[in-house]
Amino acid sequence: MAMARWLSALVLALILLITGCASPPPSPYEQVQQESTQRNAPAAVSRQATQGSELNRFFPPEGNGFERIFVQEKKGFAEAKLKKDGKELAMLAISDTISTPEAAAKFQSTTMQIAGYPAVEVGTTQTAILVANRYQVKVLSRDPSFTASDRKEWIEKFDLAGLAQLAP
Amino acid sequence: MSEPIYKIVDQLPTGGITVMALQSLDFILPGQWQNIVGFENTIRHVTGETDPALIRQIGDRAVRLFNDKSQGYQRALWLYQTVDNTDALLGAAALANKVGEKISFFGFLDKITPKPERAQSLDLSLKLIVEILAFCQINGIPGDSLSDFLRALADYSGESLMRMAALICFDGLIPLGPDFLLKCLGTLQSLQPNDLQENPTFKAISAVVPGGSPSGQLGFVIQSFNAVQGWMSQFVSSHELTPQKVINRLQSFIELSKDNLDYLGAFLDMSTNYYYHTGVQTLARRLIERAVAEI
Repeated sequence: MAMARWLSALVLALILLITGCASPPPSPYEQVQQESTQRNAPAAVSRQATQGSELNRFFPPEGNGFERIFVQEKKGFAEAKLKKDGKELAMLAISDTISTPEAAAKFQSTTMQIAGYPAVEVGTTQTAILVANRYQVKVLSRDPSFTASDRKEWIEKFDLAGLAQLAP
Repeated sequence: MSEPIYKIVDQLPTGGITVMALQSLDFILPGQWQNIVGFENTIRHVTGETDPALIRQIGDRAVRLFNDKSQGYQRALWLYQTVDNTDALLGAAALANKVGEKISFFGFLDKITPKPERAQSLDLSLKLIVEILAFCQINGIPGDSLSDFLRALADYSGESLMRMAALICFDGLIPLGPDFLLKCLGTLQSLQPNDLQENPTFKAISAVVPGGSPSGQLGFVIQSFNAVQGWMSQFVSSHELTPQKVINRLQSFIELSKDNLDYLGAFLDMSTNYYYHTGVQTLARRLIERAVAEI
């Protein structure tokens, strides 16, 4: 009896020791963290990427109660918020895939087209096209009322022909 | 090198004085701010996506963007850190140990001293400057004109709007009173460039404040304050804010007596880091919004 009690105390102590010492599981982002911080790590944004300020003018205009508020403008990227009656409906974005070749690669196997450009749906909230094999135009729903067909419609409102001419 | 962004967001607290103080301001902006913490949780919240593989892809891109120093995200983080670090007179850690459900105020009175009005005014102005600088580091100057930029500022919501509300309440109304904007402007106009250089927050961030010379930088501080004071005064009047209203809400978690209200501003300065907390949340949101649009 005394032995059993002694044993259970030991087991308990061991369990505590083991769980106490266990380090938290490694983050799934540790690898990308290491890759992107090591010496000579490739930059996240290519030097050849188009300036965000050059991308602004291809966004759809405001009107019919829709507000378009530019929120980010960085090298290789520009983004605006689409609002109506004060409600945030969607994000509109253009990015230069020169920094993200895998983003451009996802259009290779698609049969879907919008405005004559290869198109894909990503996840449940995003529709994207690739213009001139270089610029990704994406519309992302931020409200459930903004559906995939709304996204397609707003992609068509960008000045896609103008954007295509920007590609070198 | 900065800590990994996923760790920084994972480590944001779910409770404590900062979170309680921010929650006490919910009466101003009901439901505007939820304390979203955790990297993947923030990705789900911002994007509305739930597929783990997609979340991982968005997270990977966000980590890469944060680690590319040329993109300015690390500098924005440093700005938010700096502004909270330099105004904490005592280690918040010592206080944090004593935080329970309620904080009795009396125990700390011998350790804290209210700042003179002038220092407090300068503190408020510099926090505003940091907001503008960090906004530019995170977002660039979006659009093609100053009006695009001002629209983006006017469009503040969620944690960014809560940060501004806290700035107005904790660094304006409580330490300086209802006419804090006038007091602040008066202080700024009486300053000499070398007064600015003696301020610890300014000393820390002066390398990134535009203006060229110390007098040019003072000009920039005054100009920025002027640009945003109209918005702040409108915020105070439209929400009918008074120091008493804010104090009443704070009393739900801090035991205060009328005799020590003078110390409340100093206490909040010392024991909260609401700028850093909501700043990290803003930074993470913007990074994720960019990452999801780029992948």
